Amino acid sequence: MVVLGGDFQMPFYSRSRWGSLVLLGGFCLLFYLVSFTANAWFSLTMPRHQTLQLPIMFALGVGLAFGFSRATIKSAEWKIATLIFVMGTLIFWMLPRSVDWAAFDADFNRIMHVTMVVSGFLCVTALRGASVELRMAFLGMVAAMLLAVGFTLRTFDILLCSAFTISQQQETGLALLLIGGALLVAIVGVFIRSLGIHQANDGL
Amino acid sequence: MSNKTREPMKPLDAEEFRKQRRLMVTWGVTLLVLFPLLIGLGLFMRLNQGELVHLQPNTFYAIMTLHGLGMAGLLFSFALGGLHFLVGTRFARTSVKVGYFVFIGVVVGVIGLVVATLIGGFAAGWYLLYPLPFKGTSWPEWSSGLTFISLLILGVVWLVGCVHIVRALSLEYGGFFQLMGWRYLGNKEPEEELPPIALISVVSLVPGILAFLAGAVFLIMFLFQLFEPSLEFNPLMMKNILFFFGHTLVNITIYCAVGWVYTLFPEFTGRAWKLTKVTVIAWNATFLFILFAYFHHLYMDFAQPISIQYAGQLASYMSAVPATAVTIFGVIAQLYHSKIKWGVIPLSFFLGAVGWAIGGIAAVVDSTIAVNKVLHNTLWVPAHFHTYMLMGVVLFILGFLYYLTAPQSGKEGGPKAGWAFWTFVTGSYGFLLMFYLGGMNSIPRRFAEYSTMGISSSHEIGALLARLAVFFVVLVLLGIITMGISIFIRLMRWVVTDATSTESSA
Repeated sequence: MVVLGGDFQMPFYSRSRWGSLVLLGGFCLLFYLVSFTANAWFSLTMPRHQTLQLPIMFALGVGLAFGFSRATIKSAEWKIATLIFVMGTLIFWMLPRSVDWAAFDADFNRIMHVTMVVSGFLCVTALRGASVELRMAFLGMVAAMLLAVGFTLRTFDILLCSAFTISQQQETGLALLLIGGALLVAIVGVFIRSLGIHQANDGL
Repeated sequence: MSNKTREPMKPLDAEEFRKQRRLMVTWGVTLLVLFPLLIGLGLFMRLNQGELVHLQPNTFYAIMTLHGLGMAGLLFSFALGGLHFLVGTRFARTSVKVGYFVFIGVVVGVIGLVVATLIGGFAAGWYLLYPLPFKGTSWPEWSSGLTFISLLILGVVWLVGCVHIVRALSLEYGGFFQLMGWRYLGNKEPEEELPPIALISVVSLVPGILAFLAGAVFLIMFLFQLFEPSLEFNPLMMKNILFFFGHTLVNITIYCAVGWVYTLFPEFTGRAWKLTKVTVIAWNATFLFILFAYFHHLYMDFAQPISIQYAGQLASYMSAVPATAVTIFGVIAQLYHSKIKWGVIPLSFFLGAVGWAIGGIAAVVDSTIAVNKVLHNTLWVPAHFHTYMLMGVVLFILGFLYYLTAPQSGKEGGPKAGWAFWTFVTGSYGFLLMFYLGGMNSIPRRFAEYSTMGISSSHEIGALLARLAVFFVVLVLLGIITMGISIFIRLMRWVVTDATSTESSA
């Protein structure tokens, strides 16, 4: 077991060596396909870039973390700090200027890919074993942010990212509104459902 | 079938109880320090309106902003803290760590707001009505940003606090649907009783969670506009989101405090206060309609669909009337032939319920479309919300704090209500009366100086009422500071005793 820092434990060998290799190989292949082979296609329109490529990279990180089933950030302080970092990363890659740069410059776009993968990975490791309170606060804020960005892109009729068009901007806004709304409904539903499930309740 | 009482939660050990109480004392001391200061800001506003001092308009509105945000935030935070304590020491296990997390978050948020308003001069009012924070501002951008971020911090920690209490109760009482008391709706009596505070907590806090998430949406949008000034949102949409957040916050503050009353008042009357089918229906109505009651803030917005305006009136009635009616009826039933000893604790709870009812009726009157046409944005509005906050929530808080300092008093009712208490109550009602009279005379709210209205009669009446209000505010301050010192000494006495007993046991 490899221990990263006092609070971060990451077992590289939670499965057979071959299993791990297949997992890592699959991850690398998907990353290569999305970040290199299909990058031009994803960067062509704003909805593809913001509502497909960005979430795919985040999902890759999430998937990777599920592969490492015992990778967990243990202390509440580090969980909170990590989630703030993840939130900051998501915000950064929604700023018009960041999106513009990422659309024009493939290398800068790749920085986005890497940080989204890292964020997805960290998100799962921080939320693993976290209290309902922390999950609700984090996911609720993510949903709020998606809705806010969605409203912004949907209602604003001045081009924010010069790499794309206004209609693409508004399509992206609608997609983010739907994703944010769905996430909000899901977390409230899951929260109400989770109230019947008995679990320890001793802090964050 | 006779009711059987659910097996109570495992009693807290002495150390855990002490920790919970220490957290509550921390909340109490914070409130006792901040509350008179915030009243002081209100005093400055009335002095200015009464033309007894002259504040620059920017200063007046910055003070008004801090007064509004500070009072709403402080009272809700304390109500949540009180609920955390009562639930945690009697009904379900709550975490002291989470309690301190909320407390520290609130302190950070409040410091941010103080800096943003008093130093930065942020003056958009407590509700930051869009596009007010961005158009023709007299304050720097950083103070707007700091306000939005401070409010976001407050929203996040309140969200955590609400989720924690609901979760704790659900673990104890078997999930959301059990907590909503639906088992009382059948023909048979339920086999297990649900304490009223559990139902009221869920009815208050779950809508609160939704409201805080909505609040986060508009605050993040505000931050976007701050960074990208060319952005422009639909003002009607922003106003809807904003009042969903603000109205719900204020409403649930009252309900959290009412939850305490359902729990503590029976200790003084010697009668159990149990849930019944009617009580459950009333509070479930509140749960549903509280989400839509805020529509009454938008009656003057012609772009809002008319059907929603009517829905707003109905929701306002349905969310407030049933819960208030069953609670007032419950208080009367508690008191009838009870031989209660009227110490300051039951008196505060009783008068608090009265103040809540008076303010509530004034609010429901104002939520009637035909009446709102006349009273909208007059002093009638601060009149009603000051009534249920000052003579409702604050009295509940005073009763609760006295209870906290004298838990053994039981039926004795705590210390007698002395001159400070009556000075506070008299001053408060006098102060409120000036608002009501102002409303009846169509004096507008949120005017720094009435002379700028250009209507001499309104100017004279407004200024006169403000001058009279000043006298009553001084009485309020005198009463609250005296009671505050008395409560503070009692709390500190407990802290010293607690520390000594901890040392000796160690």
